[in-house]
Amino acid sequence: MKVTVYRFLIAILVSVLAASNSLGAASAVSVSPAQAGESIRSALVQAQLTLSGDPGASTQLVKEAESAYQTGLSDSIAASDPEAHLRVATAFESLAESLSRRDAASFAAARAQAWTGILAGSYSVVEDAIQSGDGQTAQTWLPLREFRTATRFSRPNVGATVSVENLMEGNSSTEATLLSVRADVLDTYQARLTESLHDLAAADANGFATRRAELATLAEGYFFILSPAYLEQKGSTSLLAAQAAFHELWLSAIDHPQQLSEKLVAVEAALGNFRAAPLSPAEQSRRAGQLMRFLSLVPVEYGRGVVDGRVTQDIEIQEAITFHTGAYAAFTDLKDLLDERDRNQTVHADALFESLGKQLSEAGTHRSVASPEAIKSQTNELSTVLQELIPEEWLKSSAQGDFDVIASMLDQMLVAVRNGQYDLAESSRLDAYAIMETGPEARLMVFAPELKLQLEELFWNGQGTSKGLAYLIKNQASYSEIKATRLQLDVHLSEAQTELTRNTAPTAVAMNAGIIVFREGLEAVVILASLMSSLKSAEERKYRQPMWLGSLLALLATALTWLLAHEVLQSLARYGEKLEAVVSILAIAVLLLIMNWFFHKTYWTSWLANFHATKRRLLNEETGLFLGLIALGFTSVYREGFEIVLFLQALVLEGGVPVVLMGVIGASIAVALVGMIVFRLQKNLPYMKILVITGILIGSVLLQMVGSTVHVLQVVGWLPIHVIPWFDLPYWLGTWFGVYPTWEGFVFQLAAMVFVIGSYYLAEGMRKHRLSSRSHREALKPAPESQLTPKSAEF
Amino acid sequence: MVQTRTIFFTTLILTLLLGACSPAAVATPLAEENPSAADLSGIKTYLLDKSSQLTSSSKSLKEASDEYYTLAESAEFDYAAMWESNPAEVSAALTEAKSAWFAASPLYEQMEGIVAGTPSLAEYDVILDAGTSGEEDPEGAVPFDLTLPDGRVLPKPGNLFGVLESTLWGTYADFTTGIEADLDNNGTIDFGEKLPDANVLKAGADALDMYTTELGTASSEWQPTESDAFTALVVMVPTMSEYFNSWKNSRFILGDASEQRDFVVISRLADIQNILGSLQIVYSEVKPLVESTDAAQATQIEQSLANLKSFVGDVYAREQSGYQHTPEEADVLGAEAQNRATAIAGQVAQIAAQLNIQIEE
Repeated sequence: MKVTVYRFLIAILVSVLAASNSLGAASAVSVSPAQAGESIRSALVQAQLTLSGDPGASTQLVKEAESAYQTGLSDSIAASDPEAHLRVATAFESLAESLSRRDAASFAAARAQAWTGILAGSYSVVEDAIQSGDGQTAQTWLPLREFRTATRFSRPNVGATVSVENLMEGNSSTEATLLSVRADVLDTYQARLTESLHDLAAADANGFATRRAELATLAEGYFFILSPAYLEQKGSTSLLAAQAAFHELWLSAIDHPQQLSEKLVAVEAALGNFRAAPLSPAEQSRRAGQLMRFLSLVPVEYGRGVVDGRVTQDIEIQEAITFHTGAYAAFTDLKDLLDERDRNQTVHADALFESLGKQLSEAGTHRSVASPEAIKSQTNELSTVLQELIPEEWLKSSAQGDFDVIASMLDQMLVAVRNGQYDLAESSRLDAYAIMETGPEARLMVFAPELKLQLEELFWNGQGTSKGLAYLIKNQASYSEIKATRLQLDVHLSEAQTELTRNTAPTAVAMNAGIIVFREGLEAVVILASLMSSLKSAEERKYRQPMWLGSLLALLATALTWLLAHEVLQSLARYGEKLEAVVSILAIAVLLLIMNWFFHKTYWTSWLANFHATKRRLLNEETGLFLGLIALGFTSVYREGFEIVLFLQALVLEGGVPVVLMGVIGASIAVALVGMIVFRLQKNLPYMKILVITGILIGSVLLQMVGSTVHVLQVVGWLPIHVIPWFDLPYWLGTWFGVYPTWEGFVFQLAAMVFVIGSYYLAEGMRKHRLSSRSHREALKPAPESQLTPKSAEF
Repeated sequence: MVQTRTIFFTTLILTLLLGACSPAAVATPLAEENPSAADLSGIKTYLLDKSSQLTSSSKSLKEASDEYYTLAESAEFDYAAMWESNPAEVSAALTEAKSAWFAASPLYEQMEGIVAGTPSLAEYDVILDAGTSGEEDPEGAVPFDLTLPDGRVLPKPGNLFGVLESTLWGTYADFTTGIEADLDNNGTIDFGEKLPDANVLKAGADALDMYTTELGTASSEWQPTESDAFTALVVMVPTMSEYFNSWKNSRFILGDASEQRDFVVISRLADIQNILGSLQIVYSEVKPLVESTDAAQATQIEQSLANLKSFVGDVYAREQSGYQHTPEEADVLGAEAQNRATAIAGQVAQIAAQLNIQIEE
């Protein structure tokens, strides 16, 4: 058996030597540090494989590896990190000794020491180069590194490479580059350390002595790279204790494997709460945002999957579990920081997470099914604990976390599509959109409104041949089609994320809030101010009251929505666009009704002194009119109020109440000023001019409302979309004036215009007809004194 | 005149107010995939060629399965009676089915690197080769249920190559009749000599035929992008640990102690080489692009891919010569392959970042 193994190893050596980068070749031409490092690493692996079968070949490989180190790496490493250099040099001595003893375990350990020494040295060279502003050297040495062990589902970090490139191009400071490189490389080595400890336990359980020695040394070597960060965070006493724990682990792996489990526990205790590359403030916020968002979704999904104590939708429970896992992963990342704030509460939160997870898991396997109320109450309790525990500033800027949650929901959507469960896919899509609308969209409206429109289209029905997710899901499109749109959506989400990262200053948040309030408030104020200013006479003034009343009620309703925002908006946000469509149609209907009355009834009839209807008829008309005016005031204001609340919620999380309030107050003043200007300018005009201006203003608002409503109806799929391809309009025409380049939009706006103007001419025609009939009748009778008032004559 | 001016100013002020608040940028149409700067047509040609061969093998498997089903149906699914009355035809049908599977499976592996690594095609990898059964792992399960000709439904039974392998070689009790049959007539019952459940075999072969045809259509519609190519390399190269783990737990390492129900007749080492072969095709197409950023790195990645494939090839050759690796050897070799693969994926990802090419999540 042993002979067979030797032969096998020799065969491996010969063939691998033939195929791999040979050290001879590596040294013959100028090689990069990364190539030299890889040559050394693979040669030492080969040497280990041939150790028992052909020690001569192993000896040769080790010599060549040492030579490659001396030639290509040692000078720079010795200069930047003498300790790392010493570890490599010592490792080569150990390798030679192990060869002489044909001791595979100690050879594996020495190999791991040499390799981690080289990694440590390379990292020091990179840091030194960055600190001295030598981007070229940093770029040359950075590739001599490891990456997190990649899987089908994780991607290697690229932060350090990009950052060094930015440094070289003058787009990044030394400090920022260092932070970024540390975050990437140290995070990688910490992951590698954790993995080595995990594999060590597995190797020990399988009785693999050589692997055990190699993995224990690798773990110790990775910790050596991380030790400066450990010293900085934990102090020298803790570092000494941790180093001792690693040394004992190493000893037990080599000589006393029966003690290994105990030593592993000691090492893990020393590493508890240590994070080599601490989370940046932005990452803390991002994790906190993920944590709270994911957690809030657990009871929502669970509630959809359980009816009468039975699991009716497995995929919903699976989603609840996924969100719990996402929340717990974020919590784990923040745990050491939270621990420092309040250890008891952190432990409490951890226990609540565990209990919740257990119940979800049991529901997932149908072993026992907790009631949705119980899950909700536990989630609320956990949420309360976390809100007390998590610093307020972490929760302020959670847009990045929102994007992560949206991505997770879109993943769930794809899983559902793959399983042919289109109804659940739609539910996940709506959830993702709800997060989008209650989170990042508010800021996009100001900082990247064109992205808002594009995202909306991709989430809903799309445009032209580019179909949106809602359309595709409704038509049960194939997985690949939906995935393609998802990928397109990802591109825009990523752009939005980048765009929003740039705008987090309080001034930006306040301005954001102000523009939202101003934009949303403008329509309502223009309608109300125009109408009210034109109601001048004592008779007409009474019509102002119902409008004020309607507006006041809408303000109260808006305030109530704000107070109930957390509960209400979360559930209504899924229907945000549809709700907007319905309210907009109502608002248009009321506006048309009122316009009809306003232009054709009040003026014409009052100026013609035609108020001689019966008392009963008058009463009925008056009641209807009052209700109509209340409705006008209400819908005009609440329609905007709801949207403002929706968007401001997100901004309050971002900038806090005072900052948002500043923006709101500023914008409210501006809106009131516009109202006053409209009111004032119209006040001194004769009625005819008032009528014309009011007509133009309200007609414009009506056109805007019709255009926007048609757009919303198209977004939610209630109206078809026929794009006018040759008519490219700037996006702000859509955002501010409701003009979108679709045939439906134009046709409806044209129809609205025709309706308003047509009804004017119709009324005029009818009036003239009535006048001429009356004149005709009057002409047949003896003429009394003229009944026409001067006002009507003027008109 | 004054009134006209007032009207004019009213309108002007409102227009200015609205205009002042509107941002200045201009809307852009929905972004479309950037047309590729590299010539990636070789990837598509390779994929279509393999796909066409796979479709043909799947059809052969379907025909053989239909023959076996007809035999079972005429024996009213009394498999013992069927075998007793007609061993030659039963053996012929099953031998044909197994050989068609033997042809189809490696063909798929030769395209798996591209299919699994390309987001728009990856669904087929789950269906054909990578998806688990709903029982094993609900999250990684295949998206389909298998409806058998007799009306039974196997919910999320696992990937189709796995279902067919465990049916044809009898490694999963639910898919076989449990009746042993000396199919090669050598006087002994060897591994895999069990009569399959004809219903499962037919349903599995029909589904394989359907999905491989669909994959062919999807492949011909696919236009490879740089992002697709880089994503395939970054996603698939580091899957070595999955394949080596599968290999470590297979009967090639553990012998009869293995409880694995698929990957029992072709070593995963062969699959790894096939996958790496397809990734070498992908890399050869983007290499000019990599060279434009870093010529040395371009060569190193190419060399590393070749070395990795050769490393696995050597281990496989040894295995084929009859050597059975010990679990610890398999562990060391697996770790080494994974280290090499991770280094390659890392290098490709760095180049993609420098070229500003998105690696899909």
